[in-house]
Amino acid sequence: MAAPADADGPERVERLIEKTGAALDEGRYPLEITNDPDIYRAELKRVFGRAWVYLGHVSEFAEAGDYARRYIGEDPFILTRDERGELHAFLDSCMHRGAQFCTAESGNTSHFRCPYHGWTYKNDGSLQGMPHMAEAYQDLDEDEIRLEEAHLDTYQGLIFGRIADEGPDLETYLGEFTWYLDLLFGTTEEGMTVVGEPHRWESDHDWKTSADNFSGDSYHVLTTHQAGLETENLARGPWEELDDFPGASYLACTDRHSLGYYLSEDADTFMGYPDGIADALNSGLSDEQRELFGRSVFHFGTVFPNVSIIHGIQSGGWGGPWACIRKWNPRGPGTTETTSWWIVPTEFAGDEAFMHESHRGWESLSPGGAFESDDLTIWEGISDSGKAVTHELRDTHGNMQQGLGAMSDEVQSVDDPLHGPADVTTKGLYFDERNSRTILRAWQEMMAAGDPVGGPTDIGDDGGSDDPTVEADGGCPGGSCSAGDDPEVDE
Amino acid sequence: MSSPAPARGQQATIDPETQQRVEQFLYREADLLDTFALEEWLDLIDEDIVLSVPVRVARDPGAEESEFSPDANYLREDYEMIRERVGRLNKEYAWSENPRSRVRHVIGNVRVTAVDGDELTVRNNQHVFRSYGDTPDHDLISAQRETVLRDERGDREGRASDGEGPSGASEGDREFTILDRTVYLDHSILNTKNLTLPLL
Repeated sequence: MAAPADADGPERVERLIEKTGAALDEGRYPLEITNDPDIYRAELKRVFGRAWVYLGHVSEFAEAGDYARRYIGEDPFILTRDERGELHAFLDSCMHRGAQFCTAESGNTSHFRCPYHGWTYKNDGSLQGMPHMAEAYQDLDEDEIRLEEAHLDTYQGLIFGRIADEGPDLETYLGEFTWYLDLLFGTTEEGMTVVGEPHRWESDHDWKTSADNFSGDSYHVLTTHQAGLETENLARGPWEELDDFPGASYLACTDRHSLGYYLSEDADTFMGYPDGIADALNSGLSDEQRELFGRSVFHFGTVFPNVSIIHGIQSGGWGGPWACIRKWNPRGPGTTETTSWWIVPTEFAGDEAFMHESHRGWESLSPGGAFESDDLTIWEGISDSGKAVTHELRDTHGNMQQGLGAMSDEVQSVDDPLHGPADVTTKGLYFDERNSRTILRAWQEMMAAGDPVGGPTDIGDDGGSDDPTVEADGGCPGGSCSAGDDPEVDE
Repeated sequence: MSSPAPARGQQATIDPETQQRVEQFLYREADLLDTFALEEWLDLIDEDIVLSVPVRVARDPGAEESEFSPDANYLREDYEMIRERVGRLNKEYAWSENPRSRVRHVIGNVRVTAVDGDELTVRNNQHVFRSYGDTPDHDLISAQRETVLRDERGDREGRASDGEGPSGASEGDREFTILDRTVYLDHSILNTKNLTLPLL
């Protein structure tokens, strides 16, 4: 008997989403969702079109005119700081005929000029003019023409953009996870700084796989990274004090986001940072946040949908302390471009010895690194077999049941303000897959909500829940824009 | 240390024999990488080496900065780290190269760009073919390498005159030692899942 006639129709996506919701209650999920063109297309609209998506760090946009090409889903946006110091994110698509006008990855300019017919925009998204404007566009309302702009907001220097007009503001979206972001990105008084340009590489794995892995999977380290762990000098620095890795590990999950971390008993551990770290700590941190950071060896986590963080001393003597921001850009079904930015506490950016070790830690998780290179091989395999029709015909399910019910009495809830407002478990990093269920639940809820509501072009006027532009963190040296010549257009 | 970018247009005057010896050395070295003979490859490397693979950035044509990042590298390894990586790749659980990639270096445009005593700066272009696992797909990694070589022929003769002689067969046969290397990628976004040593 053949499959039902609608087996490949649009209903299939809705059925799969519903099925995922039901399976998740039992810690399972249909493997079909891993690499499927219809699911992927729906993800672009329902997840990436709806969520707050990480675009960059304020330190990358210090000067007026600084810009970088960044992505929400697959959509190319240009993140700019305008001449008044405000941040914007515009779709790289001219309002005349949709041509792209930004070919560089990053740079500084006061204007963007479309190469097709020469329409030119200021770096605040407004129309500057176009060739022969006086002859060709006598009845045009120039003020109506603005580049398509995403909503923008920042938290602890992290810039997020959102396509959908409706939805929670950024702080609400981040929820209780802000407590951990304060700790991760507001650690020191001067905050974090991005150094240099990011690592970027494309691999054939699904973005969900890596977002999930970085949200709190230490269980895989034992097998995936066995070769890295077997190298000499496995435990150096603060790791030496941890004789029971699972026992020293914690998993903190909020409604959408997750963080895993290792704590030492020593309150002056500070991930092995140089001695000045205690004095540099942000005075805005609570006593609990200071103590948690003081005892910290390593942190890693994921803000749904596709940005992750790693911060700490690398194991195996492979460098650090170091930190990076990871973004998993979807690039088609089963394909991801990973972008990895090296970040350091601003106070230590001039410390040469520290920077050397920090770079070593960062590169150990680059595509050339001793750890990351093994992950990628395995993730590509997941994506390759994710296409299998067997998954659909046999209704094959994957398993994320660790920590459910009576699965393990090792995993214990922690009720201690030291660990912040999330649901926290000990040994959860190894024996609890709550992080995976948390992320997939957030995915399932967004997918089940259908396409987000589109809005009018001028999102500043109505329909928007917040202003599309944001004030610069720390102001902007006005007038210092190093843009090129004024464009030759009529105004 | 890596320079921000390979210098353009430089060419040292070099005799045909040295040119031929440099080329033969690079070909033999490529063969060691292609066959994962990494312990032998390590023997060609000086202990003060820095092996760098800087990040390449897609910049505006008018930009003043180099396309190669002065701060960010995919790899910036000293001898100790390279040695650890070689040891790591030989382990059963080094999934990045288990099973091993099928690797083939094609090396060309070999030019000696500077000569300083017994040190030669050599530039070569390369296409590194990589195929992996049970698939017809392959990745092609294109780059220009800049390598600083020490000519061991003079060194060997010098030692011989001291009456010490070559210390071992492999060192005695060695024509050059690799003092420094930077791999300037032609990719601003890498098109391969990882950058293991045999691909450089």
